[in-house]
Amino acid sequence: MLGDIITPDLFASALRMATPLALAAIGGTLCERSGVVNIALEGIMLTGAFFGTAAVLATGNPWIGVGAAMLAGVAISAIHAFASVNLRADQVVSGTAINLLALGVTGFLMELWYGHPGTTASIQVLRPIFSFSSPGGGFLAEAWRWVNGIVFSHTPIVYITIIIAVVAQWAMYRTKWGLHLRALGEHPRAVDTVGVSVYRGRWVAVLMSGALAGLAGANLTIEQVGSFTENMTNGRGFIALAANIFGRWTPVGSYLASLLFGFADALQIKLQILRDVITVPPQFFLMLPYVLTVVVLAGVIGRAVAPAAVGEPYKKG
Amino acid sequence: MSESREEIPVQRPWMAIAQKVGTPILSAALAIAIGSFIMWISGYDALAAYSALFKGALGGPKQIGDTILRATPLIFTGLAVAYGFRAGLFNIGAEGQLFMGGLAAAALGVFLVGQPWILVVPALLIASALAGAAWAFIPALLKARIGAHEVITTMMFTYIARYLVSWLVVGPLKAEGQIPQTEALMPEAQLPRIQGLFSEGALEAFPFLNLGRAHLGIVVAIIVAVIVWLILKYTTLGYENRAVGFNAFASETAGISVQWTTVKALCISGALAGLAGSVEVMGVHHRIFDQFSSGFGFTGIAVALLAKNHPLGVIPAALLFGALSAGAGTMQLEAHVPQKIILIIQALVIFFVAAEEIILWFVRRRQKEAMSHAG
Repeated sequence: MLGDIITPDLFASALRMATPLALAAIGGTLCERSGVVNIALEGIMLTGAFFGTAAVLATGNPWIGVGAAMLAGVAISAIHAFASVNLRADQVVSGTAINLLALGVTGFLMELWYGHPGTTASIQVLRPIFSFSSPGGGFLAEAWRWVNGIVFSHTPIVYITIIIAVVAQWAMYRTKWGLHLRALGEHPRAVDTVGVSVYRGRWVAVLMSGALAGLAGANLTIEQVGSFTENMTNGRGFIALAANIFGRWTPVGSYLASLLFGFADALQIKLQILRDVITVPPQFFLMLPYVLTVVVLAGVIGRAVAPAAVGEPYKKG
Repeated sequence: MSESREEIPVQRPWMAIAQKVGTPILSAALAIAIGSFIMWISGYDALAAYSALFKGALGGPKQIGDTILRATPLIFTGLAVAYGFRAGLFNIGAEGQLFMGGLAAAALGVFLVGQPWILVVPALLIASALAGAAWAFIPALLKARIGAHEVITTMMFTYIARYLVSWLVVGPLKAEGQIPQTEALMPEAQLPRIQGLFSEGALEAFPFLNLGRAHLGIVVAIIVAVIVWLILKYTTLGYENRAVGFNAFASETAGISVQWTTVKALCISGALAGLAGSVEVMGVHHRIFDQFSSGFGFTGIAVALLAKNHPLGVIPAALLFGALSAGAGTMQLEAHVPQKIILIIQALVIFFVAAEEIILWFVRRRQKEAMSHAG
């Protein structure tokens, strides 16, 4: 029974499930480090998922879909940037508006373009990059089966996400841009004083988080599911925010925290297979990621410190 | 010269009120205008759409009844979100507390058979308020004790509540038959329809009383709105709530326990959202099932913001969104515009209220123009 659960596929699945969370969480990290709260990750992800799917349906090319998803993410996050940075609106409320807007726009366009609500037609998906065969018996073959399953079984965005996490970590702590970004969220006045534009810095960070959350949406539709369903993000944007906090506002931390949530998701899917053995209703497994998020937040918060100026609009002058 | 006039505005009482009401009305108007623009570029006839929407929302007593029907839970969720906001808390998870309130009413209502109406209805309302408060309690405690952001925790609790209800209606609480839902409530546990209170003759003499499916929940909602207004304005509880929302640090210094106030605020907010669930169960569906709420908890955010978190302002704001949602069906049927446009308009309203600067920019420009004309 345990052998049915602990398989290479469980860990591979954890990596897959972690990917959209990690992309959005890293986006949230960049955004919050610049001093802007981004509750809109959920809606941006949904927007990316929809426009990515629409582009693939129109062109048949999944990579064009990935590009479209990121562009759509940037476009809708521009609204958030304009409201939070230029208009000094309440960032949490602006984010809520964008989540609702995304739900409305994707649902509206779905009916306008495809004539029905619900789910789109299936699309051309991105396939795993490598396809190595697993040779016959023996210990070495078994070891190879695990390595192949966990490391080499993935679609492109899964690998891209790991690269993004590492590069973002490096950029945040080893470049001048990163220094400015971190300072924006701690003490924007100081950044302004040395002649770096607070508005510009925050705009760039919000748009980058839009691109990343859009890419997360592309991963959901163009790599995992193969179609778009209304409201398919199902709270992932909020779980990503929790992962960002659990990862203490660092890109690699966000990635690792997402792995934990991804593993919980992968585990609950595996456990559902054993429905005949363990008679627990499936709804309880479906609750797991949300319960885990609360538990993690409850356990970690006291020791995680948010950027000092996060959520505070900055007024030039 | 116009500069100095702008800096020292003449304040008259009516101007203060106009300013308070002005931005929400302009926000709603601007959102509806952009909504028609979206319809126009999508190839729909916006005029036909809005006239169908108007017909579906206010075209007759039945339609007005439908608007009231939908405004009823929105008053409660709007109050819930507004009460939280007044303490500086964003209860984004009113939907989850609404589910638990509805669950409490549906589950308890089946047991209280044979008791008089006058006992059962208040008992169920109180039970649902308690259930909503209980569902907000853990996020409240986490917020107060360790600062876990209530936006994330209440949102997670919303998903948990929905899965819990979706399990209960196929499992332990499932009624006989194929459909996943609970047993129907007996008449003594229901909130009766308003038209049902009048005799046939009275309805014929005064056709405007024939308010279709609208039920007595609206009366409860208005009473509760007034109570919340009184609490916020005249009681220590309300004062502390507003003080913490205004400046938590100063409140703590002044001897108000911020932690305790936070817990109370979020639990009261949850109780109000719980009541939204019970009026839907007791007044509309008479049972609970998976999809019994059409996102009233989330629309409550738009209601609260449009009302600028004023408990009495919540009533007209809820009626506006109630009308939009009541008319949406007719709009889709007659003008073929997808109902989702209502969500877009809602989002725009929230956006404009939040980004008041946009509205103020328009207003200031108009004022400047007016002044330059006058000068």
